[in-house]
Amino acid sequence: MKDPAKENEDLRAALGSDKDTAFTRLVVEHHAGMLRLARAFLREDEAEEVVQDAWIAAYNAIAQFEWRSSIRTWLFRIVINGAKGRLRGANRELTVDFSAVEPDALAGRFMADGHWSAPPENWRAHSPDELLQEQDLIDCLQKTLGLLPQSQRVVLELRDLQGLEFDDICNMLSLGASNVRVLLHRARVRIFNMVDRYQVTGEC
Amino acid sequence: MLKCREVVIYADHLLAGELSVVERAKLHLHLAICRHCRRYVRQLRVLIGALQRLGARASSDVAAAVMRAIHARAGTSRS
Ligand SMILES: [Zn+2]
Repeated sequence: MKDPAKENEDLRAALGSDKDTAFTRLVVEHHAGMLRLARAFLREDEAEEVVQDAWIAAYNAIAQFEWRSSIRTWLFRIVINGAKGRLRGANRELTVDFSAVEPDALAGRFMADGHWSAPPENWRAHSPDELLQEQDLIDCLQKTLGLLPQSQRVVLELRDLQGLEFDDICNMLSLGASNVRVLLHRARVRIFNMVDRYQVTGEC
Repeated sequence: MLKCREVVIYADHLLAGELSVVERAKLHLHLAICRHCRRYVRQLRVLIGALQRLGARASSDVAAAVMRAIHARAGTSRS
């Protein structure tokens, strides 16, 4: 993950000398993630509109951006606010599902005494890059991300794919820190389980 | 002694750099004797590293379309 302060400094200078070129670089870097985030809240057509509107808002407001937070956090906040506005307008809302009764995906892999009954498989990959060498596994990861419950998907996107701070995520989603951690944990173990199964079966 | 079931929770906090000295000591004590949990923590790190790299970049065509829409609708506010 890049150093946000350095990222900001470089971008600020680039925007000053050639706004459109620098802004295009921002779009290349963040568009896919913003769209994935919006899709967690909205239908495909709505998600594309919300992200396009977010880019227009960002383009118009970037001169007022204060450079105290990372530009990434700022952009993702604009998308979340746009998505929330869309949901409110349609009388829908972000559904947060952490029913305490529903056990997480690893629950069945422990014995009553808390030891593993089905311990993790030995993955062939020993680094992130090795893990991403198999296109089938990348497809499985993307599919599993898409199948996560909405709030887990949003938290995982913001924290593990985008690397935002917990405090910022809590603010954006109006959720408490412990709830955000529970959602993140559930999302992670579900994906861990999928990769684990993939090692044995070659399928998601 | 921590249970394996608890280690998977501690692992999240470890990766976020949020364990106290005492908690870290408890975790490492468990990891020293439990290869299953060592494997879990190692592979969780690999997985999260992979997720970070998964956020694909947009193609230049897509970026150009976004910029065209900005100029069509942002109108006069170019600076
Ligand atoms: Zn263990």
